[in-house]
Amino acid sequence: MTILTGKTGARGGFRPLLRKIWAHRADYAYVLPAIAVMLIVIAYPIYYTVELSFFNTPPGLQLRDKIFVGVDNYTAILSSGIFWKVTSNTLIWTLASTFISFVLGFACALALHRDFVGRGVLRAILIIPWVISAVAASYIWKWIYHSDFGIIGAVLVELGLADRPPNFIDSVSTVLPSLIVVNIWREFPFAMIMMMAGLQTVPDQLLRAAKVDGANAWQRFWHVTFPHLRNVSTVTILLLAVANFNSFIIPWIMTGGGPSNASHIWITHIYELAFGRQRWGVASAYSVLLFLILMMFGYFYVRALSGNERKDHSA
Amino acid sequence: MSTPAETAARGQPRRRMRVDGWRWGGRIFLVFMLLYTALPMIWMLLTSIKSGFAAMQFPPQWWPDQPTLASYQKLLDPQNSVGQDFLRFFWNSLFVSTATTVLSVIVAVPAAYAFSRFTFPGRNFLFFAVLLRNMFPAVIFLVPLFILMRAIGLVNTHGSLVLTYLTFGLPLAIWLLKGFYDNIPVQLEQAARIDGATRFQAFILIVMPLSAPGIIATAIYSFIGAWNEYIYAYTFLSKNEQLTLPVGIQRFFSENTTDFPGLMAASFIMSVPVVVLFLVLQRYFVRALTEGAVKH
Repeated sequence: MTILTGKTGARGGFRPLLRKIWAHRADYAYVLPAIAVMLIVIAYPIYYTVELSFFNTPPGLQLRDKIFVGVDNYTAILSSGIFWKVTSNTLIWTLASTFISFVLGFACALALHRDFVGRGVLRAILIIPWVISAVAASYIWKWIYHSDFGIIGAVLVELGLADRPPNFIDSVSTVLPSLIVVNIWREFPFAMIMMMAGLQTVPDQLLRAAKVDGANAWQRFWHVTFPHLRNVSTVTILLLAVANFNSFIIPWIMTGGGPSNASHIWITHIYELAFGRQRWGVASAYSVLLFLILMMFGYFYVRALSGNERKDHSA
Repeated sequence: MSTPAETAARGQPRRRMRVDGWRWGGRIFLVFMLLYTALPMIWMLLTSIKSGFAAMQFPPQWWPDQPTLASYQKLLDPQNSVGQDFLRFFWNSLFVSTATTVLSVIVAVPAAYAFSRFTFPGRNFLFFAVLLRNMFPAVIFLVPLFILMRAIGLVNTHGSLVLTYLTFGLPLAIWLLKGFYDNIPVQLEQAARIDGATRFQAFILIVMPLSAPGIIATAIYSFIGAWNEYIYAYTFLSKNEQLTLPVGIQRFFSENTTDFPGLMAASFIMSVPVVVLFLVLQRYFVRALTEGAVKH
């Protein structure tokens, strides 16, 4: 990190830095292949996206004919009605999915913490939705939600709660919550795994001491277990939030963003702009904005992780 | 005034009931979560053994009255054109996922080791740059990578997938493996060095065998990620014979949306390899995944 902040330069100048790099040349050999791959498939695309966001390109990716338009793509985005629709969808989708997945996953981890017969099997079953492909999950749930033959609709009709099966994903008012249910189905196991691992690090002595002092189960959880899990909770919530913010497959396969954009989130909207409507410039501008937002997430993520490392060294 | 014994006698049952309340609450919650998790998968299996006609009834047949494996036979029969396509998708997925896994591990092992052991200038910056990649969705890399792949002639080849799958496989592999190397005592290598091994020999002969569980976990994660990947495959490949399973299944059934038993059977077959792999090796996997995040 010293290099980045320029401290080395201030102290020793450029030449000592080069000498230091040269002295470590054998170390770089280990990371060189990884860095080379990352440069090609990550650094170059980021650079290119930023460049493209200032251009207008004709359909078909005829890039020689691109026209410089300054920040027009950005102003076009911010002044379009769909931008706010998609942004509010993304916020609802990300917040609801993250919060509920985390709470359900954490609760599962707590309930599975005590040993009982069949715990291992139960845990394995609960993890499966997270392992299977999101494409398979999307088709399974599309079938479950089917407006003529879907099983949930059929149950509602049989119980007399509906006259006919509801249009879960074909109706503007229910599509987003319906997709969030699918997303949570896939994501809560991740929170469960992380929190189970976290729970194993809570010292038993503290819990026993709290019990001796007369704390009930809720108090023990709230004053001992939960504070102890702050780090792992932060990392888990951040990773979930980023994953949800970046979701693509479930909304894309199940509804394609419809009906009337009711389930379009940022990523699906960008994809449609680029590969559906071939508006590469606008899609790139969206990507750059997205990139800036994610850098913010990244800042908190790195801070949470390096918080862990600091504790490591002091321990 | 009651004696301490009486207080204990009175207090004890109430306390136990409280604990039982939590335990029962937990059990009921777990049953609910089990239903939420398992019912969709059970419904997938039940639909996959129905005939197309039996699947399209209302109210639905909860249990198929004439269970049939016809959908599976159709998908797995190399004589049948549907089976030919499906099996080809399966092998394509297997090939791409295996190649991605092997490459990720080969590139990530030395890098993770260096990040764990060496203090070269720029180490922290590079490591966090690698980590940050996991923040970015495939979609924002898609246009430039598509252009790049077209320029180097990899569009419509599996090479484009293997190369782009490294964008998510590599950062995660490096992160997972670094966690493992951090936990291997550096003294073991120092002992080998004193006995005359070079640093590279110590790495290969001492550290590599000890990190085998980490390498297995990393390999599973890369494999599952590549097996389930959809966006790049959906964008880069257009010829039917190249498609991987997630995209292949979609192309298959977008033409014939009424064949829900076939779709459910295909979803099931696609899920089997990763679920089996995961269940067999989950111990390593879960440890690796959570290692970095739960340290204190």
